[in-house]
Amino acid sequence: MMINTDGMVAETASKIYTDLCGREIPHKAEAGEYPQALWDALAENGLPLAWVGEANGGFGADYDETFGAIWASAQAASPVPFAETLIANWMLDRAGLAPADGSASFALSGHTPSADIPFGMHADKIVLFDEAHHEISLFDNRAAVRSPEQALSPDGMTQFIFSGHVVEQSAKTDLSRKAVEALILTVRAVQMAAAMEMALNLSIEYVSQREQFGRPLSKFQAIQHQLAVAASECAAATMAATQAASAIARHASDPEKAWHEAVIAKVQIGHSVEAVTVPFHQVHGAMGYTQEYDLHHYTRRLWAWRDALGNEHHWSKLLGEALAVTSPDQIWKGVTTGQWIAS
Amino acid sequence: MQRFNFPVVQPEPALEELRGELQAFLKEEREAGNFRPEPECWMASADPEFSQKMGKRGWIGLTWSSQYGGHDKSALERYIVTEETLRSGAPVGAHWIADRQHAPMLLAHGTEEQKLDILPRIAAGECYFAIGLSEPGAGSDLANVKTRAEKVADGWKINGQKIWSSGAHISHYMVALLRTSPADGRNRHVGLSQIMIDLSLPGVTIKPIVDLSGDAHFNEVYFEDVIVPDDCLLGEEGGGWKQVTGELAMERSGPERFLSSYITLETALWQLSGKMGSDSHARLGKLIANLRTLKGMSWGIANLLSQGVSPETEAALVKDLGNRLENDLTMQVRALLNDLPSEDWSPDMRRIMNIGVLRAPPNTLRGGTTEVMRGIIARQLGLR
Repeated sequence: MMINTDGMVAETASKIYTDLCGREIPHKAEAGEYPQALWDALAENGLPLAWVGEANGGFGADYDETFGAIWASAQAASPVPFAETLIANWMLDRAGLAPADGSASFALSGHTPSADIPFGMHADKIVLFDEAHHEISLFDNRAAVRSPEQALSPDGMTQFIFSGHVVEQSAKTDLSRKAVEALILTVRAVQMAAAMEMALNLSIEYVSQREQFGRPLSKFQAIQHQLAVAASECAAATMAATQAASAIARHASDPEKAWHEAVIAKVQIGHSVEAVTVPFHQVHGAMGYTQEYDLHHYTRRLWAWRDALGNEHHWSKLLGEALAVTSPDQIWKGVTTGQWIAS
Repeated sequence: MQRFNFPVVQPEPALEELRGELQAFLKEEREAGNFRPEPECWMASADPEFSQKMGKRGWIGLTWSSQYGGHDKSALERYIVTEETLRSGAPVGAHWIADRQHAPMLLAHGTEEQKLDILPRIAAGECYFAIGLSEPGAGSDLANVKTRAEKVADGWKINGQKIWSSGAHISHYMVALLRTSPADGRNRHVGLSQIMIDLSLPGVTIKPIVDLSGDAHFNEVYFEDVIVPDDCLLGEEGGGWKQVTGELAMERSGPERFLSSYITLETALWQLSGKMGSDSHARLGKLIANLRTLKGMSWGIANLLSQGVSPETEAALVKDLGNRLENDLTMQVRALLNDLPSEDWSPDMRRIMNIGVLRAPPNTLRGGTTEVMRGIIARQLGLR
């Protein structure tokens, strides 16, 4: 498979983003005009419930076509927490809880009492995975004390103080931390690969139009080679994200088994962010540094997402530790077949 | 829709059985002292006796029909064989090129007589081929080929010189890109043809070129009035350029483009077991993530090739990323080994590491330089 952009869920999401999230929408969102119509269309079509089972009012969509929807949202620089709500509702569903009423974001324990929460200013609800107590809880974010921080991404990061808040719902879960990490890292990987590809497209468009020394920038070999190298990193990112998505889809009932492929995607893509955003900004010159131009909608999200849940160095070390206690035979088996756990 | 086409394909269980057989054989051969593992083994480690053993086991010529001594298997099975031999650093250099590209070329363009004569010998690990593309004045600028083949009554008369022909000194044939008619003004791609030359013919002189490590797998090959019969023209007269560029996806996307130095990591991992520090864990994690991703890309292309699709740009991406990775791998292993006092390195480790460092420079040159790969990618991006 590739990232499946042909399924019903992906096509519906793609159409909504095309219709309601044109190039101007992320700019308006950042200026304070939240695209409520976009969120409403996603919600009316039930898309944030794609990973909620039918018993809980969702439609239990296939993982792979939902990854196609996430791909579309990231290519549109989604200013609404679509991917975050999918994750939050997936966590609730895995604890037997009803999906969030409205948009949602998530946090993992280990960062409490405060946590960095993407879309912390916009999400209606926050879902907390508490590993120590094997518990999933739903908080109302609108009533919370929130302090926006200088964030990398336009989606914002909010320090959320978990104290004295009313828990709306809570239940025990058998989800392991590794299973939650596998899903979150895979969703982020898909978003990052999609954003990288869009930033590449913008760069190609820009260097083809912008003329210096009497010819388009694209005709300079120095520019061609910078973008060729960046394109190879983008292609590798897409492969890593697709491998992780494929592992999640294969291990739908036990996502922990997709942990290695998800971490590999995090490490591969996290390390390549600098290798793509540097040349993308370089070929754009000063124009790419302005708020007016679109490039930063992608590059800032790439910088934020590579830090999410720990940066690429943190995860490289965790992966290396996990591999070092196996054997060279097992490592080879993983590299060649994607089977990282002895069966 | 994604810009590049790399399908993710799960390997069939039968392929994994084949992998197990290969692993058992390679372990036995190594432990019996029949080979010493080396990086870049597909290029620089040739052992005809080892090739014949591979042939007897049915691991050469997997992809072609048993009518021609092959084994009626798929390109994916061949992929597993190449992957495992690279991991082991086994001496597969003698038969590698013939198995990879000249046998398919003969199947496509050879006469029935040539197929019956040559293909079974390739599959037996007894008949080897050299590539005849580069010339003193034609490296990255491949279309600048000057070596000529002139039509004569009983075939073609060849004059000129090829260079950097790996393994020519042990090869039976070379398939050379030759000028059979003049260029059409500035279009140098016309008038080139592929011709198979028996290297034992009179007028062929092969001289070794010793590389910086002391190896001599490169050669200069001179042709002086060498006469080959008519049927040695492979494919269309004047169609050589198209044929050569059409084969590149196959040549550039295989596991030899990113696993040539894996034996260095493999050897280090056995020694470092339980001794790695936290910096090394981070290095290992990154390296393995890179390798797994490249494997996915290369395997995706192998699956496309087995369906008859030949993705030239994707192959160029794999080669550029892969060559960078295999050189980086050697450097990362040097860093990993700091966790082990150098007096504790096995003699094998030192030897393999040194060979790996010495054999790194050609990785990013052979089969199309990094700069050529980036040009191909840039063209696909619409920049040239």
